[in-house]
Amino acid sequence: MHPKLDRRAFLSRLGAGAALFMLPASARGGWGRAALDGGRALSALPSGDGFDRFGVGTTLLRRTLDRALARGGDFAEVYLEHAVDRSLGLEDGIVNRAYASVALGAGIRVLKGDATGYAYTEDLSERALLAAATTAAAVADAGVGADIGPFVATPYESRYPVTVPWSAIGVDRKVPLVQAADAAARAHDPRIARVSVSFSDSSSSILVANSEGMLAEDNRPMGLVSVTCVARTGNRSETAVRFLSGREEFSWFTPERVTTVAREAATRAVRLFDAVPAPAGEMPVVLAAGSSGILLHEAIGHGMEADFNRKGTSVYSGRIGQKIAAPEVTIVDDGTMGRTRGSLNIDDEGTPAQRTLLVENGILRSYLHDRISAAFYGVARTGSGRRESFRFPPVPRMRNTYMPAGSRDPEEIIASVARGLYAEEFSNGQVDIGGGDFTFYLRSGRLIENGKLTAVVKDANLIGNGPRVLERIDLVGSDFAMAEGGGSCGKDGQSVPVSFGLPTVRVSAITVGGRGA
Amino acid sequence: MKNSARDSAWAAVRGALARGTQGARAVLTRERESSVEWRDGKLDRLRESTSVGLNLSLFVDGRFSTHDTSDLRPEALGTFLDEAVAMTRLLETDPYRSLPDPRRYEGLFTGDLGLYDGPGSAAVTAPDRRAQAQALEDAARSSPGADRIISVTTNSSDSTWESALVNSNGMEGETRGTYFSLGCTTSVRDEENRRPRGGWYAAAHRRDRLPGPEPVAREATRRALLAVGAKPETSGRYPCVVENMTAGRLIRDLTGPLMGNAVQQQRSIFAGKIGQVVTSPVLTLRDEPHLAGGFGSGAYDDEGMATQARPVIERGVLHNYYLSVYYGAKLRMPATTAAPSNLVITLGERDLAGLLQAMGTGILITGFVGGNSNTATGDFSLGIRGQWIENGVPVRPLAEMNLAGNLLDTWSLLAETGSDPHPYSSVRVPSLRFDALQFSGT
Repeated sequence: MHPKLDRRAFLSRLGAGAALFMLPASARGGWGRAALDGGRALSALPSGDGFDRFGVGTTLLRRTLDRALARGGDFAEVYLEHAVDRSLGLEDGIVNRAYASVALGAGIRVLKGDATGYAYTEDLSERALLAAATTAAAVADAGVGADIGPFVATPYESRYPVTVPWSAIGVDRKVPLVQAADAAARAHDPRIARVSVSFSDSSSSILVANSEGMLAEDNRPMGLVSVTCVARTGNRSETAVRFLSGREEFSWFTPERVTTVAREAATRAVRLFDAVPAPAGEMPVVLAAGSSGILLHEAIGHGMEADFNRKGTSVYSGRIGQKIAAPEVTIVDDGTMGRTRGSLNIDDEGTPAQRTLLVENGILRSYLHDRISAAFYGVARTGSGRRESFRFPPVPRMRNTYMPAGSRDPEEIIASVARGLYAEEFSNGQVDIGGGDFTFYLRSGRLIENGKLTAVVKDANLIGNGPRVLERIDLVGSDFAMAEGGGSCGKDGQSVPVSFGLPTVRVSAITVGGRGA
Repeated sequence: MKNSARDSAWAAVRGALARGTQGARAVLTRERESSVEWRDGKLDRLRESTSVGLNLSLFVDGRFSTHDTSDLRPEALGTFLDEAVAMTRLLETDPYRSLPDPRRYEGLFTGDLGLYDGPGSAAVTAPDRRAQAQALEDAARSSPGADRIISVTTNSSDSTWESALVNSNGMEGETRGTYFSLGCTTSVRDEENRRPRGGWYAAAHRRDRLPGPEPVAREATRRALLAVGAKPETSGRYPCVVENMTAGRLIRDLTGPLMGNAVQQQRSIFAGKIGQVVTSPVLTLRDEPHLAGGFGSGAYDDEGMATQARPVIERGVLHNYYLSVYYGAKLRMPATTAAPSNLVITLGERDLAGLLQAMGTGILITGFVGGNSNTATGDFSLGIRGQWIENGVPVRPLAEMNLAGNLLDTWSLLAETGSDPHPYSSVRVPSLRFDALQFSGT
């Protein structure tokens, strides 16, 4: 069977206009089959920086852009990428699997109006680059080439400087950490029957050059440690997954951090033995601070990505300046949060990353723009043009999406609910960007009865309509937190790393898909 | 002149053996893809690519790793192999890792799997793709109810690939295929700024098996219009019918706990249940790798073992797990195959309308929205969209509801399978009718 067909069929079924979020399977969170079971990626082993790394100089870049515009395109861009992804896995007490891939390639994009021509090549020879440029150029079919301006490099100070690259960290350095995580989880509770640990890293170097003379480079590290625990008692099994991820270096993954995550996974798995079925029906939901930010990602974030608005197919189309939530609700999408998983120095079109206000005190302020949508709306780009790799054209995407702290005491928010759900841990979400209906899946939480947290509940899908749920956020806590790891977001067949955060908030009513009373 | 895929795979395997590896598998894939996306009267995106990938699995001194590269130049391949072998030597040994037993390479299916359409792929030109994408939009805009349309996005795409697999202990296989697809997404106006969309697609390995643009575009538009005015129903237990195109999601959730990794890691509700009744006797589910034109068809699997048809669940009784060589060895069971090929469900007598008549009053599920399923406990909860049915007839659209249950309870309530298998997926599932299940709404 061809490995990509099922994925393709899956994406077709999902259709344009759906987006989903899941826990990352590898550091970059690509869509490929689980890295350790194979999958496809690419290789070559260049080294050095910038032009040396790619072996493509400014003369060849200019020639490629010239060719790309030869049929009358308005704009052309070359995106070079070299990415090394590695992963190490432990199962049943043995560090017994490893995976590595090296990808090198160029994506060439030509715009004519808001239409895109795109071609990529894994061969960076002049012949191959010019052939790809010719293919992408076909989006335009009349006119003559334009002049390419002189290249001017985009300067910035990196938010995630690389002092020791992941390539310098051998398998032998990671093995003890992976073993320590395993030992910590097992020692935590005798009911922990199975532990699997993975340690993945990714180093991506990109160079973007366009026909306006912009030239920008970025080096993006990412690390991820994931611990899965299976707890067993009698015939019952319960599982929990916890992970740590960010644009970090190896030194950040200390034994203390890694073993803490492992113990959390063990704690979460064991506590599920006490769980009662989640309730069914519409009820007040208090979202715990941190990873509950997935609500913002699904309920509004995707709907604010301007490609859907430009096409008139988002539930938020045409609503800039309108009041959509209570005055205490402010929502930000921010690429500038240091080494957080969704942070960037520049986006994948070379635009510097920024902090973008989506909602300010309840008023809808700005969409997330890439080059095409910013031109369409006649506004500045927001540094939101992202792509999974050189194999894809960029589209507007979220980075780190969060709601800043409000004024309420989180304890009071819980105490305000007579009967409802306290939502703590999530695994995935999805949204229909046009209809606005979104879901996020609760792995575990607690019941709220008479203002008190009571029984543990698990496994319930929460479903609501984005704009209606935002209107129902009526209490915002003072305890803002980001999710520890974030995750991977899929849209348009592309997966990118993101994160989110939220203070404790109350939603007055949302439909909980449990089976209990 | 390019090396054949088989030569390139052999070169990688020989290079690995020369570096002291005891066993190696190489899978080399080459692919060309082209697509056109069309939106609201004009070209939106044109994409083309040619790519190559080598996936290599190494078995070194009882240790195991996998690697990917696209750089097949001899000097680059040499460096790649040096690093891959060195990295593997730093791992711990695992006695369960090995290539398949060579006896599993025997009896390869030699019939035509219907994956390749030589003339068909050569015949598609860029103007053809544009014309098809444009025809899809025209058809969507001439569908009933088109006055509500906000936007139509369509696509026409095709690809051709070849792949070779070599296992150092005596397996080599080659396959090639083509893939053609048409898709349409229609967005329509609704109340409260809602813009529901409907999507449909068709896909085939042979171009002459694709339907024309009309049925695809009309179905996409019909599905968008179905969602207009959708609201949740009161929470409760209702009988339901799951439409064929969306029932694959339920089948995937059912097969998740059958994967070797889940079973061996004690994360499976089906652990220890081979030979036991796990679903209603109405369900017979078979893995059929040799289905002509199937999207999961192949003569050998990802590890190079000859594929064979297997019962997964027969009249409700569990027959097989999906076991790779590794998880088979760990469980001390014979390997079957690591993952589903085509899943085929025994058909019933009635089409969708007939199932709705048999149900009378209840819910027709036309789409799942998010949700998840816990392989360890079998608990699942899925968002749904659909229609409220009375006397076998849709009376109003539903949204913002969840279906929740446990796999064992839910599948014991399967009452009837339809006669209408979904043609565009490796899961050829018909519409399914269940007795009362738990729905949450208002």
